[in-house]
Amino acid sequence: MSIIEQDLKKTETAQQISGFESGNEMAAIAAAQINYHIMGYFPITPSTEIAQILDRMKTRGEHDIQLIPADGEHGSAGICYGAAVTGARVLNATSANGFLYMLEQLPVQSGTRFPMVLNLVTRAVSGPLDIRGDHSDLYYGLNTGWVILLARTPQAVYDMNIMALKLSEHPDVRLPVIVAYDGFWTSHQKKRVNYFADRKIVQDFIGPQPEGFPHVGDPEKPVTIGAHMNGDDLLNNHYQLSEAMYRAEEVFQEIASEYAALSGREYPLLDLYAMEDAEVALFLLNSAAETAKDAADQLRAKGIKAGVISPNILRPFPAEAIRKALKHVKALLVGERADSYGGHGGNLTHEIKAALQEDPENRTIVLSRVFGLGGKDFYPDEAVQFFEMALDAANKGYAEKPFDYFGCVSGEKENALKPVIEPMHGETFRSGVIKVTEDPETGKLNVRIPPLRALTAKPKRLASGHGACPGCGIFPALELFFKGIEGDVVTLFQTGCAYVTTTGYPYSSHKQTFIHNLFQNGPATLSGAVEAFFEKKRRGEIEISDDFTFVMITGDGGMDIGMGSAIGTALRNHRMIMLEYDNEGYMNTGSQLSYSTPLGHMTSTSGVGKKQKGKAFHHKDTAQIMAATNIPYVFTGTEAYPQDLVKKAAKAQWYAQNVGSVYGKLLIACPLNWKSDDRLGEKIVKAAVDSCFFPLYEVERGITNITYDPEARNKRIPLTDWLKMMGKTKHLLKEENQDLLREFEEEVERRWRVLKAKHEHPDL
Amino acid sequence: MSLLPKTNELGFFEIRLESIGGLGANLAGKMLAEAGVLGHGLNGSNFSSYGSEKKGSPVKSFIRFCDADVEIRDHSPIEQPHVVGVFHEALYKTVNVVSGLQPDGVVLVNSTRDFEEIKKDLKLNYGTLAVVDALGIAVEEKTKLNTAMLGALFRICDFLDPDVMRDVIRRTFEAKYPHLVEANLRTFNRGYEEVRFQTVEAPEGAEGIAFSRMTPLLGYETQEIGGVITAQANSILKDLSGSRQGFLPNLDLDTCIHCAQCDTVCPDFCFVWEEGEDKRGRKQMFLTGIDYQYCKGCLKCVEACPTDALSVLREEIGFAEEHRVPQSFPLVAGRRD
Repeated sequence: MSIIEQDLKKTETAQQISGFESGNEMAAIAAAQINYHIMGYFPITPSTEIAQILDRMKTRGEHDIQLIPADGEHGSAGICYGAAVTGARVLNATSANGFLYMLEQLPVQSGTRFPMVLNLVTRAVSGPLDIRGDHSDLYYGLNTGWVILLARTPQAVYDMNIMALKLSEHPDVRLPVIVAYDGFWTSHQKKRVNYFADRKIVQDFIGPQPEGFPHVGDPEKPVTIGAHMNGDDLLNNHYQLSEAMYRAEEVFQEIASEYAALSGREYPLLDLYAMEDAEVALFLLNSAAETAKDAADQLRAKGIKAGVISPNILRPFPAEAIRKALKHVKALLVGERADSYGGHGGNLTHEIKAALQEDPENRTIVLSRVFGLGGKDFYPDEAVQFFEMALDAANKGYAEKPFDYFGCVSGEKENALKPVIEPMHGETFRSGVIKVTEDPETGKLNVRIPPLRALTAKPKRLASGHGACPGCGIFPALELFFKGIEGDVVTLFQTGCAYVTTTGYPYSSHKQTFIHNLFQNGPATLSGAVEAFFEKKRRGEIEISDDFTFVMITGDGGMDIGMGSAIGTALRNHRMIMLEYDNEGYMNTGSQLSYSTPLGHMTSTSGVGKKQKGKAFHHKDTAQIMAATNIPYVFTGTEAYPQDLVKKAAKAQWYAQNVGSVYGKLLIACPLNWKSDDRLGEKIVKAAVDSCFFPLYEVERGITNITYDPEARNKRIPLTDWLKMMGKTKHLLKEENQDLLREFEEEVERRWRVLKAKHEHPDL
Repeated sequence: MSLLPKTNELGFFEIRLESIGGLGANLAGKMLAEAGVLGHGLNGSNFSSYGSEKKGSPVKSFIRFCDADVEIRDHSPIEQPHVVGVFHEALYKTVNVVSGLQPDGVVLVNSTRDFEEIKKDLKLNYGTLAVVDALGIAVEEKTKLNTAMLGALFRICDFLDPDVMRDVIRRTFEAKYPHLVEANLRTFNRGYEEVRFQTVEAPEGAEGIAFSRMTPLLGYETQEIGGVITAQANSILKDLSGSRQGFLPNLDLDTCIHCAQCDTVCPDFCFVWEEGEDKRGRKQMFLTGIDYQYCKGCLKCVEACPTDALSVLREEIGFAEEHRVPQSFPLVAGRRD
């Protein structure tokens, strides 16, 4: 080490640029400079920005990374694994439940020893759902066999990302690496930063990929990857992994020294602040440690010997360095932004205690506090309170309360939630003027509905006061659908805008019973509820009326990540409705492309620039996919044709009650991300129908019926009349993009012709 | 010699912007911070309040400046700012926008009203009130109001050189929207020049405006386990009128044909109906008015209306309260107003 340190003094650091960037921006800049081969990703707050920034850079030709939008995090991990076994340099980024959804794949990656880098932008794991930061996701990563580096600041995010890849590929390590940093506090906070002026400096530092490691990219040397083992072999495999993990500590130190020489920034195993003579100390991960340093300064000014420890590496756990740092510390408080419920302290508390246990002379009292969950801010004065708790233990010689939660409030009785409206159910939602009858001869349904005016007497299912954007198309479409549904409903909303805007705790905009589940699992969850209802009814344990209806509501994003769940539910043919509101993107997370985004449309991950012209592939035909499951009823609808939608809702209810599963797709406007006028939503979805982009039809017991044919009525408009209404598609009207436009028009026309053929031929 | 006129105990000069999503306060905060850090060699940080808030919901943007050699480790929200910028005047009804303001602090408000009215609404006793009609400037110049607010903020933060910002504006628009360069420069300059000030000296030893950290309504003894909500539809207690950005629909019942087109397209369920009898004595539903408490001003209803019954109105303070027709919900006891 001393030789390296001497070298450091001699070496001039490489040229750097000053910037003002956030953690996510720095992760993206590092990735672009490295120029990874592949990034497989799926959007989740707060890590999504990385893919968005890389997409934006790609439209300007600033890197060559293939950005692959997966169907979910499990898929993204699969894409990354496939690329890694092919010898590519691979990047991923995720948070919270995205991390948990890919968790299964992580030991596959480490156990078969393929390097890659994953940015884990830490966030609270559901449930209840909370989009802001804590470390509950990170703790699930502790046992995955991935090296874990921590970054407290945007600067560290950049530096760690560069070191991570070199560490991952190092012949003595060959393990995937996580770079973890705090969601929002670090990912979204802009700070003054430095980065290398030339990507060559970064690429030279990392060096070429070490050779001699088999991968599938070399056809001359065929290999088998992923053979299964029994315990005799698995034990040895894991021993190899374990040894490699411990070697990573030393390799990290070597790389960090080399990097310090290049950058002037040092990353020892532990970041020790005022620890030389500290008697009380806090152990904190990431951004909270920075806050605590200000508190330590305050206490030092009063003559209290306070210090802060924060690891730069968490796996391998720097036990030896921790023992050394705590040698003379009287009391240590470990603040943890996640719990290991029932473990009398979070995971790190026990790892630190275990590390100290190996030093027979150590007398440090260890306190443990769970704090700052789900984005709860941590203020310098709270760090002072932590120090005071440690001081108290140091003075007493023992911890009065070794483990506790910090920052909870008991709440005032008078603030407890009380009912606001009379419970609305049953008759309230039975208008009695919607009639569905089955024609005994044809088996077709006859539906009679009154004018919309009469239906205003029927209460809305959702309440005012929800937090959707002005002009949001979700609610008019859902309510029109519900107008056609008589009697009680139980709804399940998968994660998405409709869920988020109607259930911000402690408020709910739902009048009837509502369930949320994460958006890869809504259909399965509601199918469980349906069957439980009917089974309990069969046993006489509950009484429910015959027109009780179950509706699962999802965005188009939920139909991407939750496609398997939806198809499974449809194939089992449960008596329920799956209703999709499609706004052509993942609008809840910031307008990333979904598979339903049409060709050429601009989103935050399908940007428009010199090198890229919006989304590269065609929109998903979800209605046809669901029709192929042979469920009794599939339909499309919009608020622009209200009677059509109300009728279909009535049919949907009949089929869900009498036959089996129903799927419906509603095209709805998102003015914010379609970059259109708030007031034009209904006009735009009307144009989508009239241009035959979004035909209104139904597939009833396998027979296709176009319910509104703009062509037959001489009302068809050119596709461009629809596209010109939205900012996200204006570029398609430019001369330079006419080939792209033509390709889109041809696909719309092809699908319309197919649909017409199906409409004309009952056997198709 | 520090550029900064004053700093707190950690060495920071702090600015908080109060806005609603969609007005560009985040971008303004970012540009202001960048100008200080990249243009003047200050150290700084910038971040926003985050949640699942959508367009029209309250948001905050924070800017910390300090001398180049001071480290910024604190990343918690700014509680005792030197400057507050209020982008959306109606916010004061639901958000304590001046919370924690330093005794000699400056509040900038986007408003057309006079000093006294604003001071009364914000409960300001001393300090400096700065007022600029940012919306008016933006409407006239066909630009965004955040640029006008930035102009005024540069006037307040006189340690920053407005030419730095002018360069940023030029660079930002030149590449993609060259025709917008001049209008945006004018907007910035007008904000800078048209902002008016009124200062009341803080008395000796004056305290800043009190601040409190938000505590949740419910605690571990009062939350239902599992986060279950048993008060269905309690979002009707919310007031969303602050989401409107200056316009609302006006209903003229004389020309209304009660077709329910407005009701069909309204995302916020603002249209209030009542059963009555038509001329032939048949039972019919009749539109009676708009519940402006929930109206976010999207104006879809105006677009959908087949007659002239619905039209766009530039909102004046007090109009919505006066013309609101409240939804009648089947309320039970225990409602908190």
